[in-house]
Amino acid sequence: MKQQFEIPVGAQHISLLEPLHFKLTTENETIVDADANLYYVHRGIENACVTKFKYRQVPLVVGRVCGLCSVSHGTAAAQVIEKLTKVEIPLRAKYLRMLVIELDRIHSHLLCLAHVAENSGFEALFMQTMRDREYSMELLESVCGNRVQYDYSIVGGVNRDLRPDVAADIKTKLALLKPRVQALHEVFETNWSLSLKNKGVGAISKELAMKLNAVGPLARAAGVPIDVRNETEDLLPWKELGFEMILDTAGDVYARNMVRIKELYVAFRIIDNILNGLPEGDIANISKALPEGEAIVRVEAPRGELMHYARGNKTNVLERLKIKAPTFSNVGAMVEIFKGNQYASAPAIIASYDPCLSCTAR
Amino acid sequence: MFELKKFRKKSPWILHFNAGGCNGCDIEILACLAPKYDIERFGMINTGNPKQSDILLITGPVTKRTRERLVEVYNQMPEPKVVVCCGSCASTGGIFRGMYNIEGGVDQFIPVDVYVAGCACRPEQIIDGVVVALGILEEKTKEIEKTIKLANKPVVEEDGQVNRRNMPAELTYETTV
Amino acid sequence: MNKIETTLEKVSSDIGSFYKYDQHHFIVMNANDLGDKIEVQWFFHDYADAKNITMFWLQCADTDRIPSINGSVASAWVAESEIADLLGLDIENAIAGFVLEHDSPIAPLRKKKK
Ligand code: SF4
Repeated sequence: MKQQFEIPVGAQHISLLEPLHFKLTTENETIVDADANLYYVHRGIENACVTKFKYRQVPLVVGRVCGLCSVSHGTAAAQVIEKLTKVEIPLRAKYLRMLVIELDRIHSHLLCLAHVAENSGFEALFMQTMRDREYSMELLESVCGNRVQYDYSIVGGVNRDLRPDVAADIKTKLALLKPRVQALHEVFETNWSLSLKNKGVGAISKELAMKLNAVGPLARAAGVPIDVRNETEDLLPWKELGFEMILDTAGDVYARNMVRIKELYVAFRIIDNILNGLPEGDIANISKALPEGEAIVRVEAPRGELMHYARGNKTNVLERLKIKAPTFSNVGAMVEIFKGNQYASAPAIIASYDPCLSCTAR
Repeated sequence: MFELKKFRKKSPWILHFNAGGCNGCDIEILACLAPKYDIERFGMINTGNPKQSDILLITGPVTKRTRERLVEVYNQMPEPKVVVCCGSCASTGGIFRGMYNIEGGVDQFIPVDVYVAGCACRPEQIIDGVVVALGILEEKTKEIEKTIKLANKPVVEEDGQVNRRNMPAELTYETTV
Repeated sequence: MNKIETTLEKVSSDIGSFYKYDQHHFIVMNANDLGDKIEVQWFFHDYADAKNITMFWLQCADTDRIPSINGSVASAWVAESEIADLLGLDIENAIAGFVLEHDSPIAPLRKKKK
């Protein structure tokens, strides 16, 4: 038997944004086993939401679960409470929520692509991608008032209207961003040295992805048709705004890059349609009803399917709130994918999962 | 001769550690490294190695599982070092204060020099904080480079015996330059 | 959402015969503290018609041993270990100390006994 070494990655590591610990067992250069320690950032938000905060404050608190997809968390929590209080929200609020979720998806996917490029050793591409990402950050700031924590969805609607000059601003900035994304697409698709680090690396088959219940771009790159935007027309009408599911077959780092880039185009199209067809009306419908019963809501966050389960007992405080984050479903697949790859590819593989540990650990 | 002092002022290397925050402040630190805000114009590079870095940027409240790692990373950094807390929750615990797995702000475990407020703190604020940290780093460097002398000289008695009853336990610092 | 009630003895075989890996997606396992009882829930959705959510549920006492479904659903160990830690339940094969540190409160999501 060859000699085996255990190499730790994390908890603090240059290629990781967050504390996360992988113990990789290697034989020569090949990883044969992996083990993950994920709950470094467990804070106890689920408990605080049912003890410290009133149900109207919950969307703002769960936004702090994760800074990258805070609007998805906030919207999911607002929707689940709206289900419990039986409030119908105005159509304009639904459209505005979708607008911010899609803008958020653009910034999150670009960040992930930049990270993959950096961890594959392509620093210049990291810089370029981050520069282009600033467009989406500026847009998010002008729509919501903050660059990262938006606090945009509240129970009953949204808390800021879209001003006409901001809408015009979105159109001009997106027109600038689109050709840049096309240029990035070309680099990610055809660059030879990047493909050495990405093609065939960290691959997962469709069958294994299904067995391990993977979600998000990780699963879609392997060909698993799972996207919540495909189904929840009653809550957010994605389909009438030109949503289309992006699938790939290879399941490696390269395929994940491609899925993310193509989803950017879908996001551009949805945003265009939202701006062109934004209905008039109120932006929020605040009612005094108290939450009662149980409900679940699923939202497609940038990393995949996000589920909130809530239970109310006709008081001001919820009885139970359970958050299932996208990365949580992917943990099984994440550990599995490492096996058989080179140790040197580990940072790029980790980045291509786009892991969000603060979602997982809450 | 290396002009070490000059170069260290020009290029402090930063180490980024997430102690349990929501990633919001972390991506703003990444945005700082990127072309628009570009803190590399101050000569800063993000390193992954605590032993080579001068400035520790911390985001997030300290959770029960990260506190040992935080202290360890801090201890591994060589003197002089400056600690910058990014975001409300690194400074005080913020919205997470009082949750069951949270220990509180970073300053309960390691000395903090600069607090950057905001949830999430904006890149401009981070740059401001880091520039303040540069000043502090320079002061700390000067402090380290002072020569040390024993304060109390031992008394020599008449028979030539050295009297060590007054142990020279105090030090005085003098500036050389 | 279709809710299917099951029991502690039957849950492994129920889910084992229901779950086909290429038809169903395991979302998450959840448990609620109802005061004197624990309610345990398993959520699935179909790939073909994803709006179709199936929930298996059962009620048991907090000292009962809950069987693992990791045999049929390969990635259930993450959810099981988390729920076991957060609610202080006895779940088969759960990894102890997965979420909580040694000095964190025990079973923080359980209601305080009055
Ligand atoms: S200060 Fe706010 S944005 Fe920053 S890490 Fe804490 S909760 Fe997240």
